[in-house]
Amino acid sequence: MFATLFIVVTLNFAIPRIMPGDPITHLMIDARIPPAARDALIKRFHMDKSVFEQYVSYISNLLQGNLGLSFSHYPRHVSTVILERFPWTLLLLGISTFLSTLLGLVLGVVSAWRHGEKIDISIQTFGLALWSMPIYWLGMLLLYYFGFQLGLVPLGGATSPRLGYPNEIEYIKDVLWHIALPIATLTLGGFASNTLIMRGSMLEVVKEDYIMTAEAKGLGERTVMWKHAARNAMLPMVTVVALHLAGIVGGAVYTETVFSYPGVGRLIYDAVLAHDYPLLQGSFLIIAITVLMANFFADIIYAYLDPRIKF
Amino acid sequence: MVGLIIILFFMMIVLMAPMLTQWDPYKMNTGPPFSPPSSEHPLGTNDMGQDLFSQLIYGARISLMVGLVAASVNVTVGTMVGLLSGYFGGKLDEFFMRLIDVMIIIPGIPIMVLIAAYLGPSIWNIIFILVIFGWTSIARVIRSQVLMIKEYPYIDASKAAGAGSFRIIFDHILPNIISLMLPQAILSVVGAILGEAGLSFLGLGDPTHVSWGMLLYYAEAYGAFLRKAWWWIIPPGLCITLVGLGFTFVGYALNDIFNPRLRR
Repeated sequence: MFATLFIVVTLNFAIPRIMPGDPITHLMIDARIPPAARDALIKRFHMDKSVFEQYVSYISNLLQGNLGLSFSHYPRHVSTVILERFPWTLLLLGISTFLSTLLGLVLGVVSAWRHGEKIDISIQTFGLALWSMPIYWLGMLLLYYFGFQLGLVPLGGATSPRLGYPNEIEYIKDVLWHIALPIATLTLGGFASNTLIMRGSMLEVVKEDYIMTAEAKGLGERTVMWKHAARNAMLPMVTVVALHLAGIVGGAVYTETVFSYPGVGRLIYDAVLAHDYPLLQGSFLIIAITVLMANFFADIIYAYLDPRIKF
Repeated sequence: MVGLIIILFFMMIVLMAPMLTQWDPYKMNTGPPFSPPSSEHPLGTNDMGQDLFSQLIYGARISLMVGLVAASVNVTVGTMVGLLSGYFGGKLDEFFMRLIDVMIIIPGIPIMVLIAAYLGPSIWNIIFILVIFGWTSIARVIRSQVLMIKEYPYIDASKAAGAGSFRIIFDHILPNIISLMLPQAILSVVGAILGEAGLSFLGLGDPTHVSWGMLLYYAEAYGAFLRKAWWWIIPPGLCITLVGLGFTFVGYALNDIFNPRLRR
């Protein structure tokens, strides 16, 4: 965990420096910048020091939470801009990961319990179709139909542009109304792989002796299916959800871009368009650290759920 | 079977592109902007009056080319790493496996975007980025197979006969992992096509070439939604989905044929 964290931080430092051309050239879209200003910039960003000294100052800045200044939101700090956007991404990812896990779990259990039957085949076909669509295209289709054709949902943003809300409930309603379609996109695009893994895990579990015991005791089908089989088949899902986090974050970048949702994903897209390299790097760093932490906690949860595992 | 038909269908389009359309994909004002599908423009036109049908079929060339080139480099690199790492073990193996662990946990899309933003938009840069992140899963699969094969008696026999390490790796182990390599190669094509489309959609594509991802990026950026130009939004995504499904089907079918023991 800490080794990976160190590698990510170092990569973030190294990428701009190993790329062709020096960083200043990248930062200056206009090549006609006067040499005096160029020299001042080089001094200001410690470009004249050795790489090691640059690295030390980069790390010490990082520890103080200083990610530099954003170009496109000048003179605001990169960290301020990201922190403002971060809760929206967390909300979006939290709800949609929960829903796609739940949906994958339920459909996987049903699919395995009735495996080979019509319902199993239709769940799998439906899942495969959604799984193979690029998530941004799925989002574009949903936005086109529900947003532009039917006018049921807003066309972008996280809240309506207005001055205030009469009460908290109105605010929550507005937020949910805006987030509905992005959540639907991420959930529909992400549940299929969960279903497949849950189905495979269930098919293994139903062969176990304790399932036969439960059935022989005369327990109802539902009780055996959910309380005995599904509970044990759920274990691999924890690892899978954690491993998929890196991918889900990518999905968030695309989804937020399509729906103009003001999270860190959309921020990355905007930073690319604006050539705002400090903001881009800051966003990458925050996302990578969040994913690492989530993986770390998934390991702890896994150890708690499966007492056979000890670290 | 279905997968093979889909792939052949798109291969034909790629080869016959100039015969299928009368329009140059980059020629502007071939018709009024945002005109819906008609007999003259089977998929309508975009904001600059370019013919979208010819952009779509020329886009197939770019998307498939990027997919095939990136996948072949991925397979070469992945196989080499898997062979050497699995056969020699030790420090080398340790190094590659740690590297792969780290690369899997780092969120792929954000770091690819970061690198692409620094490298600048070009088809070759995109292929380069797809290769950096594409070889890892192949290397893992090949390595585990090599670990198994190298314990077989015939490897000991050739060692006893005085064969050198490289002879054993390339003459005796490599032929035995080709059956595993092929499905991986095909699945790698899917990954590369989707990767190129994704980066292009985020505006990091090569502006001098129109690929399917670029088509969707332009549709998003230049008002396809506001003009309700569904003919600009639906076809490129459908093509990406179909090609992805086609290669996936073929990949799994090959896996079933070559590695019947892995079948459920």
